[in-house]
Amino acid sequence: MVYIPPLNFAPVISTEVLLYRSGFPMPLNYPFIKDQLHLRTVIYVGDKEIADDYKEFLDEQNISYHYIHMNSCLDPEIHQQMDRVLRLVLDIENYPILIHSNKGKHRVGVVVGIIRKLLQGWSTTGIYQEYGIFSGGLKGAADLEFITMFNTELTVDKRKLPDFVRNFEST
Amino acid sequence: METDYEEDDDNVYINEELESGKEQVVVSHAPDQRIVPPLNFCPVERYLYRSGQPSPVNFPFLLNLNLRTIIWLANEEPQDTLLEFCDAHGIQLQFATINPDGGEDDNPWDGLTEHSIISALQTIVNIENYPLLVCCGMGRHRTGTVIGCLRRIMGWNLASVSEEYRRFTGSRGGRILVELLIEAFDTHLVKIDREKAPRWLLSAVK
Repeated sequence: MVYIPPLNFAPVISTEVLLYRSGFPMPLNYPFIKDQLHLRTVIYVGDKEIADDYKEFLDEQNISYHYIHMNSCLDPEIHQQMDRVLRLVLDIENYPILIHSNKGKHRVGVVVGIIRKLLQGWSTTGIYQEYGIFSGGLKGAADLEFITMFNTELTVDKRKLPDFVRNFEST
Repeated sequence: METDYEEDDDNVYINEELESGKEQVVVSHAPDQRIVPPLNFCPVERYLYRSGQPSPVNFPFLLNLNLRTIIWLANEEPQDTLLEFCDAHGIQLQFATINPDGGEDDNPWDGLTEHSIISALQTIVNIENYPLLVCCGMGRHRTGTVIGCLRRIMGWNLASVSEEYRRFTGSRGGRILVELLIEAFDTHLVKIDREKAPRWLLSAVK
């Protein structure tokens, strides 16, 4: 069996919980996703309507699908969109999760950067470097500035926090 | 880490909602104490990571990974600080020498020998060594070779293996020699003990 992972595929978190990133999965990636990832949730940050064959595949696998419409970090509603992603990521019951965009570079790069900063406390240079690894060295100044400036205020259930989250204050 | 958790627990303010079975937290801004990942750091599989050579600024980050083993892919010893760090935290440091006969004449341009690739992979296919970090000077070519051969064992197609390798090679791009080495690697040379293999590996090689 030859397995073909989706474009720009990598784990983001690989502890007890598993969070993956990638570009848009194609039919030739389905065996890999099915046999190796055992996903419970897919989050798509992008602008394309979901294809019928993809929807069928996800339904077959009982994977819950969240379409978060996003053009770029310059969207007027970007804050709400990002909060929706974070709420899904902050709930242990949704794992394993795959977050994908179209190429797995910029939109996913922003989401992962914010997870690295807000939930794990990575340094800014570490976040920038990771963004560069997956964007093929493209700078994406607006994306990096957005990651750096992003703050939010989400009240979530402490018992459902995944193990990698370092940042919380009890209310 | 443990003391941190204890402190946190002491400080948890339990609000009235707890009685109705809810305890809530607010996630708002980055933790004050930032951690710095090593150069080219990335998760590979569950509890398996890759990176360039960690320096002292990365040690708090590494502690978060709770590593049991670090595989160091070079002829020369890593910096003393890394040796001391491993000693102090009970991390076993495994050298997978590039060219055992090379002695002092280690050339960072030399690729890994088949022997050193197999030696690193034998450590990787054994869950007793986890959590595990594979690293070399920059986390590019030597680490990329070993991870590339691991992906071949896992049944990845060659184009995807190369894509992953090149991602970490920086502006000068990948080396054809490394990709040839990965392509030519005989995956049967690595002996997988099914009792001791990580679960993700078993599901890939079944």
